[in-house]
Amino acid sequence: MTEHYHPRVKQLMDGELSLSELPPELRAEGEAALRWLATVDRTPIVLSSNLDERVMAKVRSRLPARTRVLDLRRRIRPWVLGAVAAAAAVLLMTLPRESRVRVPVVAIARAPVHVRFVLYAPGAGRVAVAGTFNQWNADAAPLAPTRRPGLWTATLPLSPGQHQYAFLVDGRRWVSDPTAPTVDDGFGRRNSVVAVNPQTERGRGL
Amino acid sequence: MGSEQTRSDGEIVRSVLAGDIDHYGLLVRRYSDRYARYAAAMLGSRDAAEDAVQDALVRAYDQLAQCRDPENFAGWFFLILRNRCFAEHRRQQSQARSMETRDEAIAGPERADSAVEVAELRQTIGRALQLLTPEQREVFVLKHVEELSYEDIAARIGASVASLKMRMHRAYDRLRDELKELA
Amino acid sequence: MRSAVLVLLISTGITGPIAGQADVRGRLGGRLPAAVVAALQQVVDSAIAKGLPAEPLIEKAVEGSAKGVEPARVLAAVRAVLGRLSQSAVSLRSAGVLRPDTDALEAGAFALNAGLSPDQVQTLAAQVRAPYALAPTLRVAATLAALGVPGNDAVRLVRDELDAGHAPGDVLDLPRRVQMGMAGGRSAGQAAGRAGGPAHPSPEPPHALPPGQGRPHKP
Repeated sequence: MTEHYHPRVKQLMDGELSLSELPPELRAEGEAALRWLATVDRTPIVLSSNLDERVMAKVRSRLPARTRVLDLRRRIRPWVLGAVAAAAAVLLMTLPRESRVRVPVVAIARAPVHVRFVLYAPGAGRVAVAGTFNQWNADAAPLAPTRRPGLWTATLPLSPGQHQYAFLVDGRRWVSDPTAPTVDDGFGRRNSVVAVNPQTERGRGL
Repeated sequence: MGSEQTRSDGEIVRSVLAGDIDHYGLLVRRYSDRYARYAAAMLGSRDAAEDAVQDALVRAYDQLAQCRDPENFAGWFFLILRNRCFAEHRRQQSQARSMETRDEAIAGPERADSAVEVAELRQTIGRALQLLTPEQREVFVLKHVEELSYEDIAARIGASVASLKMRMHRAYDRLRDELKELA
Repeated sequence: MRSAVLVLLISTGITGPIAGQADVRGRLGGRLPAAVVAALQQVVDSAIAKGLPAEPLIEKAVEGSAKGVEPARVLAAVRAVLGRLSQSAVSLRSAGVLRPDTDALEAGAFALNAGLSPDQVQTLAAQVRAPYALAPTLRVAATLAALGVPGNDAVRLVRDELDAGHAPGDVLDLPRRVQMGMAGGRSAGQAAGRAGGPAHPSPEPPHALPPGQGRPHKP
């Protein structure tokens, strides 16, 4: 059976009341609470000195931050892609694992367009957006709170084209964007859709 | 070394995005310990915190182009680390964890009884904290370990001050229960 | 569109990223049980053999695993995507598009997913001529359906724009106009009924985002 602290004691623990402002019958409870609160460990933690090196080693083994990977789907006919993939797959299988080289495919892709995602989710502890633009990785694009309580937002660069996405609230609830068109995701929920059109100087062709 | 101190986070982020990968090391040095205490309190061990901070720093690099306010790299990085801590907690749910205790440096060849008491109480609180929900643990850690105000916490993670207080007050009651059980 | 320059670097090693496009094991290994990964590889292989794009299949599998969906259901969803891509190819070819490109195939599949029928996709595709492009036109109809506009109305709306010879930009703008009508309290069908006709000329390019989601701005 949980014994609850008196609400005024909780205010004391929050630092919003002082002991002397507590009614006398609550002072003992208040003192006991403050005593264990004071022993909470606040020593700063210093992590291993080689953490920095380990992080930079991983960072350097990745492609440069600005490399743009060409979206091959839009450039190469399917049968070419299939033939190359098949050839590569054969080669992959015959070469020992160690000799597989990660080769950057560099191209000048169309410039990304910044898209702002907004969700009104009062009471949420954290919100992220995941979609086809970030491999549905819910850890990749957290939303940040705004001045308006309950309003979350993130601005992401998306390549021109069609993207599907959804919000993940508190790490467990998938929510579609109430302001966007939705389609069946095939898993019993709905994904939101955003179409990003490239910014062009003069008018635009479809 | 002087110039390292005077560059703003925003300048460094832009420089990294322009191709200067090594500059990311400056941000790593600035932030590798900044939220280590928070991560350790959330995850219950220094080792887990180190893994989380390392992963979060690498992930922040991977997603650097999506940092919408480079001058506030700190706040954005904190959210990435926070998500990583919550994800780690989910992973840990089904696994048995041994509670790690932090070494206490207690001065003097003879430990006074009260010092031992304090050390034991600290351990007990640490264990009890791990029994809260992640959201309860977080508000407790941010207020009573990191010593932020409710308003600061609200700004950092979103959630209204009212809902933070609700979580905290439930945490107080649960901790009181656990302290009775575990002590 | 063709102004993009493709520089492909192939060393004596392997083109990892190209192989990665169809590399089911690389992208899903460890995220799904081995048996399911193998089954997915078969689905991908059969897509490639039919000249259909593999990426939407792998994307759907990645999505399912990220959402924690049970593997059997992921496999079923991926097969459903392949089914839509196949059907899209059939509809487009029946519409006279002899060699639909990947973009058009995916747009057709998206339209089917959004609720248009194969016949509706075919009808619309048959009507698209320069200066209109096939994939974006299909996507507009699909987006209207995704907003809740009944399939027939969505197709009619787009076809009316094409018939009237409105600027391609105006066709792209249809979903936004319908959404604005819906924001005013009308149902999707009602808003669609009013959205046809020439758009009001605006000083800036139409925004791609539905209202409420902010506006895209240049980085």
